[in-house]
Amino acid sequence: MSTARDAIFQAISTANGAPRDADTIAAEAMALIATPDVLRPGFTGQDNLDRFIEKATSERVTATVSHAATLAEVPGQVADYLTRVGLGAQIALQPRAALRDLDWGSVSVHHTVDANEPVAVSIADLAVAETGSVVFLSGPDAPVLLTFLPLHHVVVVGQGQIRRHLEDVFEFVGAGQASQPRNLNIVTGTSGTADIEAKNIRGAHGPRFMHIICVADL
Amino acid sequence: MKQTSEHFKAHVTAALADPTLKIALNRTTTLLRERRAQVIADFGEYAAAREAAQKIKDHTLDNLAHYLAMFEANAVASGAQVHWARTPKEATDIVTAICKAEGARSATRVKSMLGEEIGIGEALAAAGVERIETDLAEHIIQLAGDPPSHIVMPAMHKTHEQVAELFREKHAQPSNSDEIAALVESARRELRPKFLNADIGISGANFLIADTGSIVTVTNEGNAELTTTPPKTHIVTVGIEKIVPSMAHATVFLRLLSRAAIGAEITQYTTFYNGPKRAGDADGPETMHIVLVDNHRTEMLGQFLRPMLRCIRCGACMNHCPVYAAVGGHAYGAVYPGPMGSVLTPAMSDLKSTKDLPNACTLNGRCNEVCPVNIPLPDMLRSLRARQHQAGLTSGMTRGGLAVWGWLARRPGLYRRATGLAMFAMRVWSMNRGRIRRFPMAGNWTRHRDLPQPELGTFMQQYNRRSRK
Ligand code: SF4
Repeated sequence: MSTARDAIFQAISTANGAPRDADTIAAEAMALIATPDVLRPGFTGQDNLDRFIEKATSERVTATVSHAATLAEVPGQVADYLTRVGLGAQIALQPRAALRDLDWGSVSVHHTVDANEPVAVSIADLAVAETGSVVFLSGPDAPVLLTFLPLHHVVVVGQGQIRRHLEDVFEFVGAGQASQPRNLNIVTGTSGTADIEAKNIRGAHGPRFMHIICVADL
Repeated sequence: MKQTSEHFKAHVTAALADPTLKIALNRTTTLLRERRAQVIADFGEYAAAREAAQKIKDHTLDNLAHYLAMFEANAVASGAQVHWARTPKEATDIVTAICKAEGARSATRVKSMLGEEIGIGEALAAAGVERIETDLAEHIIQLAGDPPSHIVMPAMHKTHEQVAELFREKHAQPSNSDEIAALVESARRELRPKFLNADIGISGANFLIADTGSIVTVTNEGNAELTTTPPKTHIVTVGIEKIVPSMAHATVFLRLLSRAAIGAEITQYTTFYNGPKRAGDADGPETMHIVLVDNHRTEMLGQFLRPMLRCIRCGACMNHCPVYAAVGGHAYGAVYPGPMGSVLTPAMSDLKSTKDLPNACTLNGRCNEVCPVNIPLPDMLRSLRARQHQAGLTSGMTRGGLAVWGWLARRPGLYRRATGLAMFAMRVWSMNRGRIRRFPMAGNWTRHRDLPQPELGTFMQQYNRRSRK
């Protein structure tokens, strides 16, 4: 195996010549993205929350949004949602203390996620105004499959967690400096496919519906 | 898949005679082109982003060894095992050895072009591992036993009526309706239990991040995460050119990739993976293997094909290619079809058996224009033609004709007289009917269309007449 590695590096050095010094390379790399604003969609005059909602509810992203003042209002809104879409009062809940500690009233809560889970509720670690995306970092209290198996995904987003651009998300997780969680999932709306005749259809393998509860003070 | 590019002409004849294929290609390429045009028009910063993307890729290729070593160190630090493979055989040997060591019976797979390139399907079958394709299009072609016909939409050659028939035959609980939504639902039902019961999950990677050691997948269906999370082992097979310096650099490409590929600002699911699950994690694989594959890439790095290593496999070049739109992906007889395929296939095999590919191009330049990393595909196809000529692969007729033309072209006086004479002869031949139905030695041309009757005089004759006035 190491012979394959050596041979590949040898072939690269034949094509490229001697490697340059690491600081020069790093400086050159940084210069290429030194002015990110000229490379990404601008939305001056629109604040993060407005942009996030506009994008999240767009035809392409297809989420619905409701607002809550505090986390305590979340169980009530979830119950309303379940009634609205005609689901039973049962949810798979992300096992995060902030959610567990809420008073879920008549809604029955479990922390495992079944293959055909009807609905899951989780808190997003971050959100992105530019694209209307929500972001999850995997961990002991944040199973990855909770985002992918259910048919309905209810996502709680704190207004203060909305970052302007994708780059700001990477800065938050510390990019090259920090040790990363196994998964950083950037989720933009519902699972879709255009694999048959390029027609957009929702609910391919992941959720078909996403509802976002925007909490002013998380 | 077995490469059959040497039969390109026969494939084309068959494809052109297939009316269903024409419908399928028309429905898809038209939609994809319209969506891309719209989303690019809305992205005012597109030109600057495209230029930056090109520069980032060039910078990374210039310092490829540095970034690959950095990636390896960081991936290992987050717990992944990194393997290197020079050839498809070395790569699939590594994958099947892992499957054997794990005693794996089944593997779910999320589509990656590199997987197709190294023949991962055949290798798994030979190793006795059941392969479950989870991308909807790959699921369709796996059931149909077809090779992929497009790099982003491998089942582009199928109409929904054909898919409905296929699912009715193969699915455990097919739907009664032919509607696309019902077909998608049927595939969801069929694949759901398989995701959770596989021993191995296999993915490719759209990007490798050097400074974190992450791999990145981009999907719309969410099948990548469902493939790579439940099994106890996650194997990544990926080409070494997929590397970028950092997450911030990757962002430039994320914005371009989905816009160019499907006309969306971002795909539904973009996931960064770092090693296996962390201590205490609720889910995720226990081991993660990353197989870095060369397969002619370092060779391309040292020659005129170097810019081709910028390719992010978006498929825009084929969606905008009139040849692809007429004949579809299968005609090319190779893993990579369309304009980028006509460059990559000769580079990854040989000039001779792929001789027709670089010639199946009108040089209209659309592919280069829509390419998000500005790859000069037409120039490369032209260079490949020149190389075929140098290698003596062009026909005697072409070589003789070119030799005569070259001899004449270097003698301008003679050339003008000869073209003037030819034009005169053609005018006489057309007998002033405005068009020429048949002409000696041009049978292949006139079989399908008429030649116009030439103007009064050659360009030079007309030019001289005007200058005199
Ligand atoms: S050559 Fe350019 S347009 Fe074609 S697939 Fe590659 S990146 Fe996309």
